[in-house]
Amino acid sequence: MSTDEHVRIFEVTTKDLEGLPDSRGETVRSMLKTDHGIKVDSVRVIMGYQVRSTISDAQAETLTYDLFADPVIEVAKTGSRILDDFSDAPEVAIQIGFKPGVTDNTAQAGLDGLTTLFPEQKEARVATYTTYAFWGIEGTVSPSELAATLHNPMIEMASVADRNGCLNGHWPQLGFPDVPPNIFKEPMTVNLEVSDDELLEISERGLLALNLEEMKAIQSHYRDPAVRAERTEQGLQSDRPTDAELECLAQTWSEHCSHKIFAAKIRHVDKTTDEDTTINSLFKTHIMQPTLDIQKEVDWLLSIFHDNSGVISWNDDWSVCIKAETHNSPSALDPFGGAITGIVGVNRDILGTGLGARPIANTDVFCFGPPDYSGTIPPGLFHPSRVFRGVHSGVRSGGNESGIPTVNGAIVFDERYIGKPLVFCGTVGIMPRTLADGRESHVKTPEPGDVVYMVGGRVGSDGIHGATFSSLELTEESPSSAVQIGDPITQKKMLDMILEARDEGLIQVITDNGAGGLSSSVGEMAELTGGAKLDLGQVPLKQAGLSSWEILVSESQERMTVGVRPDDCEKFEALASLHEVEATAVGEFTDSGAFVVHHGQTPVAHLPIHFLFDGCPQLNLDSEWSPPTHLPVETPELDEEGMGKLLARLLARPNVASKEWWVRSYDHEVIAQSVIKPFCGTNHDAPGDAAVIAPIQGGTQGLVISNGIAPRYSDIDSYAMAAASVDEALRNAVCVGVDLDLIAGLDNFCWPDPIESSKTPDGRYKLAQLVRANRALDDVCRAYRLPCISGKDSMKNDAMMGGEKISVPPTLLFSLLGNHEDVRKAVSSDFKKPGDAIFLVGETHQELGASELAFMLRDEGSGGIGGAVPEIEPERNMTVYRALASSMKSGLVSSAHDCSDGGLAVALAECCFGADSGASIDISPLQSDCSDLDDWGALFGESLGRILVSVRPSDKEAFEESMEGVCCHYLGLVSEGDAISVSRDGEKVLLGSMSEMRDSWKDTLHGGGL
Amino acid sequence: MTPRVAVLSGFGINCETETMAVFEMSGAHADRVHVNRLVNGDLNLSDYQIMAIPGGFSFGDHLGSGRLMGNRLRFGLRDQVRGFVREGKPVIGICNGFQVLVKMGLLPGDEEVSLTQTASLALNDSGHYENRWATLEFDSKSPCIWTAGLERIRVPVRHGEGKFVTDDPNLMDRWAESGQLVARYVDPSSEYPSASDNILPYPISPNQSWRNVAGVCDPTGLVFGLMPHPEANHSTWLGATWTREDNEHGQGEGMAIFHNAVNHVTDS
Repeated sequence: MSTDEHVRIFEVTTKDLEGLPDSRGETVRSMLKTDHGIKVDSVRVIMGYQVRSTISDAQAETLTYDLFADPVIEVAKTGSRILDDFSDAPEVAIQIGFKPGVTDNTAQAGLDGLTTLFPEQKEARVATYTTYAFWGIEGTVSPSELAATLHNPMIEMASVADRNGCLNGHWPQLGFPDVPPNIFKEPMTVNLEVSDDELLEISERGLLALNLEEMKAIQSHYRDPAVRAERTEQGLQSDRPTDAELECLAQTWSEHCSHKIFAAKIRHVDKTTDEDTTINSLFKTHIMQPTLDIQKEVDWLLSIFHDNSGVISWNDDWSVCIKAETHNSPSALDPFGGAITGIVGVNRDILGTGLGARPIANTDVFCFGPPDYSGTIPPGLFHPSRVFRGVHSGVRSGGNESGIPTVNGAIVFDERYIGKPLVFCGTVGIMPRTLADGRESHVKTPEPGDVVYMVGGRVGSDGIHGATFSSLELTEESPSSAVQIGDPITQKKMLDMILEARDEGLIQVITDNGAGGLSSSVGEMAELTGGAKLDLGQVPLKQAGLSSWEILVSESQERMTVGVRPDDCEKFEALASLHEVEATAVGEFTDSGAFVVHHGQTPVAHLPIHFLFDGCPQLNLDSEWSPPTHLPVETPELDEEGMGKLLARLLARPNVASKEWWVRSYDHEVIAQSVIKPFCGTNHDAPGDAAVIAPIQGGTQGLVISNGIAPRYSDIDSYAMAAASVDEALRNAVCVGVDLDLIAGLDNFCWPDPIESSKTPDGRYKLAQLVRANRALDDVCRAYRLPCISGKDSMKNDAMMGGEKISVPPTLLFSLLGNHEDVRKAVSSDFKKPGDAIFLVGETHQELGASELAFMLRDEGSGGIGGAVPEIEPERNMTVYRALASSMKSGLVSSAHDCSDGGLAVALAECCFGADSGASIDISPLQSDCSDLDDWGALFGESLGRILVSVRPSDKEAFEESMEGVCCHYLGLVSEGDAISVSRDGEKVLLGSMSEMRDSWKDTLHGGGL
Repeated sequence: MTPRVAVLSGFGINCETETMAVFEMSGAHADRVHVNRLVNGDLNLSDYQIMAIPGGFSFGDHLGSGRLMGNRLRFGLRDQVRGFVREGKPVIGICNGFQVLVKMGLLPGDEEVSLTQTASLALNDSGHYENRWATLEFDSKSPCIWTAGLERIRVPVRHGEGKFVTDDPNLMDRWAESGQLVARYVDPSSEYPSASDNILPYPISPNQSWRNVAGVCDPTGLVFGLMPHPEANHSTWLGATWTREDNEHGQGEGMAIFHNAVNHVTDS
């Protein structure tokens, strides 16, 4: 047996069997056509494994079919190339592999498999690559253009063989991606006794994202004689911070971690009303205060705002929690990696809630540029279709592999999301109200002396500066180190282990390692006991040689920080070892008042807790509101068939179109709890509204999960935008029968930078938009008694590329988690039977401003988007919702679907899709809601608080009785056949074929292939 | 006697909660058993009467779904697993668990329990993972104890690699004759029985499996695996179109499979 370490290459491809296509190749072929317009006759895919080990030839033979290849459906080779075996040489061959240091999950699994077979090969390394061979490339697509569609140079390398190379057998071959050795740098200090300009330069050069006032606050801390004396005692240079301290402060004080804009003092001026007021923290005033006020009225708000997610009591046995995060900047740089780390990251927020909650449902809401965008894309950015596919694939992989169903979501398109896509990942969790030892699970119970464990993945040079980087705009220089690829299986093993540890009472405190890494997770928990000490020398590393500050702030994924009583450590470590999870004691909680960091014997940081968490100076910002002006909406003259065709075009708009092709590839049913699914209707293809899950198997109490997002209205008034988002979330929940007495919300703000500066001359306006959105959130949540229990903001969603600034439209995602008393009474959106009566509940007004119709007409060349935006009357809406909820409880409602994008007409068509039916309605009754309502406003206006309902003919009267006193119009009947027809005052105003509409609705966002 | 079910867990298996629940709902007692607890001797398979390998993404499906978990069982638990099967105890693998049983050679299997792989589950023709509902039809002549008396059920499929294939076409005939191709995708609008060897159009056959095979059993009928998730249809309100139907609420269409196995153990 040879014992020399050497690299062996194993290659695997699909066997030539009749009836067995190379589906990987087919997928690439179809993607090239759909996303890039590149036509290729055939593509073959070869998986490659480079194994650096001391295995013998005989062992390599075993590995070929016992590990790397499936003996039935694949062929494998080691020692020669599969590319040699094709009877026709390919025209182009491209090999893609990861750059050194990038997480390679397949390689990690390969290594695990290798040591299952040969346990002595612990030191082996595995790397993977994929080779694509092409035949019949149409036109003049160059090999490098093809390669560009297949890899992201930020994280991957390509090796290419052109036609000549292929004819001569000069195949592409990447080398083993060895990580260059890290050079350990001794902790350094930073002299802050410098000019203001130099202070700013220190911040910019170090990617610290701290402003001058913050730098000066740090400077003055190190001038304090008491601080200096303490530092001398600790063996640290007394008058200046170490690099690790400065990094730790920058993480903790970053916009990303400390939400400085929401905490700022804002002078708000309204030019239309002459208001001139000062708001001391939007968060405290408009988000926290309403919730605190509601908390006085209800007994189910268990833990709000301070933990990783908000917790409410669901029943006597269980509490539930919800959190959503954004992962926008990383998703712009590497859509797959950014999105997968986003979803597995928010799962950890749930696992890190209280003493540990189990994630049971994910939500995904994306905002992208239009997938068919044909304008130029600034250098450094990806085309929206590629961002879409990458993000989708990341979220699919992260959610599915973690065994957490994706139950609800949305995809919104607007050109302004080309600069930064918005990737909202949300998770709902569940935990027993009390543990076996009697502790309430939502309360963390750390004590000084508890041991700090780092559990899960190791720390590497990946993910350094994520928190500060996402607090800056995106530029060509954005660092690739901020990009990571999540590893759902490492995390799943950790999750299984943590939940067992929780149930055995071994966990006193837990939080996740996300932005800011250990500096943030240990730092935050140190606040609970009043101090912590950490030894970086104990932290397991992916690569040796990381510097102290890097270990402290690295955001390497799949890690939790857990506090364990000294007596429980042995049990905790045994459990970790059973699950093959790494758990390492790295420090101890104290009550010393400081976060103290050593690296072995070397002192690295000594930060007083109060300075770390309360030392950041409050921002003072200016806000000024004057409403924007737009050209008014111009509607064409159309006969009823013209209106039918217009509706079909509206249904084909990406914002309205079916997302089925994409959503199908999320597992939405794992855990066997899915009552109202993303799809409903006789063909399982009509859109659901809110999700309903029954998380306790066999139980009939449920949870409702919904989302609302309406960024279009920000173009006219962000107050309307925020109000519409909250109403949409609640409206969706009402459609499925939510219990209106137990609903909680979650606000996720994604804004363009609202701080006035030379780069942001319109900062005051953008801040005024933020103020107005917050006021809407406050007003509507109070009226709906819908407390926000957690939330997040991302305030720098701008990209500066090639001198061009692209800012996202101000966007609020509102997520809702509610109770469902009996899931057997849940209602789905599809019409059920011809002959059922159709009703519209809620008032319709002439509100076409910034509607989907307005944008479509503008895009088609006529008019603007100006006009009245939907105005909210939350008290009136709530009365309607309560009436409908009680009617559902009595079993009188056959279907309910909310009216949102595209208004009543779109809702009607979607309800018909689910029943394979037509419908015939008369909109005349709507005129009693609003005297100047025209057909456009009635059919396509997006007035809030409206739900389209159908009831059995036998229940019609009882339903009308149950809705007495609230606005409820009988419109017509579900009909046999294919025609959707609308009349007013005896005249046909819209006529179209349901199946033609369904085809156009389904076609737009079809992802290609089957 | 209440049968004890070992529901395997760990390494990315993720359907153990509902798999335990359906056995409990069928009158058995189910334990979550981490594979390493069997390897390290904490627990022994011989103390159980039924073994279930639930769905999930063991080892992330890297290097082929089920392969690495199959290897852990084939190399780490070879004797325990063979002993269990040879004693005539029922085994089920669902989705990823089915992939594990096929990759480790327990399915379609042979009389000797030689653990030789003879079939596989290839990437769906669509090239990607999908979650959608399908209708299954069962072979009434099959020896499979899990599906005895069943005609059809509606269940979700949730996989990317579920296309049942083999490299020896004669084997397909042999398995068909012995009733091992027990569960097949069918067009729900057809009359029972209508299972066909011709591949049905997508998405009636969601993965374009050969002969529309959705699940197979071993020659004894005790080891059974299938790609779809019967455990996900344990209650009527989990069906894909239940809001369109007027049925009484209660246990779902998937439950008969688990009742069959529990009854088999209780009766024998």
